Amino acid sequence: MRFSDLLRVSILQLVRHRRRYWGVMLAIALGTAGFITIITMGRDLKENFNRDLELLGRATVIKVYFEDRPAYQHQWFYDSTVEALRRLPGVGSVSLAVYTHAAKSNHQGQQYRYSLLGVDASYWDVCGFSAQKGKLFNLEVNNVRERAVVLGPELARSLFGSESVVGSKLVVDENLYTVTGVLKDVGLGDLRHFAFIPFTTAQDRIQRISPANRIYLRCLTWDDVEKVARLIPKAIQSSQYAPGIKVEVAWAQVKRVKAVAWWVELFIYSSIIATLILGGAGIWTVMMAAVRSRTREIGLKKAMGAEDQAIMAQFLAEAVCLSFTASLAGSALGLVTVEVTSLLINSHPGQGLFMVCVVLGLLVAVGLGVAAGLYPSLQASRMEVVSAIRYE
Amino acid sequence: MNKQCPPPQANGALIQVTRLSKHYSNGHGVIPVLRGVNLEVLPGEMVAVMGPSGSGKSTLLFILGLLLPASSGNYRFLGQEVLNLSRADQAEFRRRRVGFVFQNCDLFENSTVYENLEFPLVYAQVERQERPERIAAALERVNLAHRMYHPANRLSGGERQRVAVARALVNQPLVILADEPTGQLDRQHGQMIMDHFAQIVATGDTALVIVTHDSQVAERCHRKFSMEDGVLYEN
Repeated sequence: MRFSDLLRVSILQLVRHRRRYWGVMLAIALGTAGFITIITMGRDLKENFNRDLELLGRATVIKVYFEDRPAYQHQWFYDSTVEALRRLPGVGSVSLAVYTHAAKSNHQGQQYRYSLLGVDASYWDVCGFSAQKGKLFNLEVNNVRERAVVLGPELARSLFGSESVVGSKLVVDENLYTVTGVLKDVGLGDLRHFAFIPFTTAQDRIQRISPANRIYLRCLTWDDVEKVARLIPKAIQSSQYAPGIKVEVAWAQVKRVKAVAWWVELFIYSSIIATLILGGAGIWTVMMAAVRSRTREIGLKKAMGAEDQAIMAQFLAEAVCLSFTASLAGSALGLVTVEVTSLLINSHPGQGLFMVCVVLGLLVAVGLGVAAGLYPSLQASRMEVVSAIRYE
Repeated sequence: MNKQCPPPQANGALIQVTRLSKHYSNGHGVIPVLRGVNLEVLPGEMVAVMGPSGSGKSTLLFILGLLLPASSGNYRFLGQEVLNLSRADQAEFRRRRVGFVFQNCDLFENSTVYENLEFPLVYAQVERQERPERIAAALERVNLAHRMYHPANRLSGGERQRVAVARALVNQPLVILADEPTGQLDRQHGQMIMDHFAQIVATGDTALVIVTHDSQVAERCHRKFSMEDGVLYEN
């Protein structure tokens, strides 16, 4: 039997008995669409998920600083070091900061001592902080070296007795600042007692402060954290001599996030595998039913001179056509899902990866069709002609 | 008076069956179905086999078409022994030499008349462009050329059986083996089928072996045989 005839006859059979195959096709199509969507969007979804996991303690933020000992007090990070860190694979964004624990304010006749961070405009995004009152200073404020200060919520309460302090004036190290915002009290830890001023302003106005002595890096996903943390000391050493470097990672949170993600991924992949197994079992069942209901047809075809292999090839081709067609429909559904998800999370997955997933999905479908259709096809090919012709 | 058929003698015979036996075994012993059947069919000959149900006439037909293996005996087709052919060669034999017509007008229900007739050509690997002509010619012989693209499940009983005859003819077989081809048709349509068979064998290229209960059908054949308890007698 020629391949073109085999294909035509199989497709005709599928079209003519389409009602019998709807359920199976749906299962395979959904499995394929899920597979394509998860693989294509996986990294983007993970990054998005990662941004939304602030409650879990900013697991993907790595803090790099110099040990707080007199020997390392005047160390700072060179521009080349910052660039080297920015180029590390798995690093999403980088923020520079300068830290001092000796800031002081005289307010309403009382002296307060607290820690202060001079931070660049990207600090808030990198660390995932937002304001509960007012706003956090941006690039423009940094560029014009404005005397603006953002307070941790606990410090705001200590100084002013309330968190509604936007617009208030505060003297920090003998310079008058305007309070522009108060941080939202979510996962701040010690930073609840901190004051934050623009990095440039800190360089200008805080005495004896060094250039950038802290770097915050946000990794693209939690899977990148371990790798990036391992690469950081080497990247720094390649740019500058920097003894006393400390790399701080929230390992407990990373572990917790990974555990949550592992369960979510397990659930998703299990669902896809279950759907595909369901589709495979469906193919097996409908093909067995088809062999039974078409017993006379098989007998007749053998009486016409069809060889065992031709009968087997026909049923196998029908199973493969079924799964391939379903997988094509699944690919189209996957394309729509990928497009919609991309719009929703504002991402741009690679076309190459999508095409690889489509090809992989089609190959899996063909494999599924062969695996599930093999036994029914063998049954059909081994049927005895006379008993098949006489089958009622 | 009926006499048991002697072993074949003719040299130009299409079919020569000698001492053909078929038996089935079950838990209680051996059940003989055919007992030493001798039969000779010449090209262009119409042969009828009659007999009561269970006498073994359909079994003989199936063995002639290599759909069933024989237990013993010889079967020569155009002088060549065919009982020991491999499964693939048996299929080849059915494709090239034989056309079957069954009682139940077995057509592929969800296909058109054209597709029904195309299957034997597909298995014989006939070129696609050659098929329409051969299908039209086969349908022409049963006066159904106008039904070529008609759905098979919308044909009348008589038309369905004529399509089955055309399908048996499409690969230009040397013998048509028909098992009760008029069994489910009224007399008029039965006669029509027999007319077609008569026209087909009249060309001299094709022989017909027909199993029937109907003596009027048997009357139209050149030779008549009857099967009783697995023994074939010539009437």
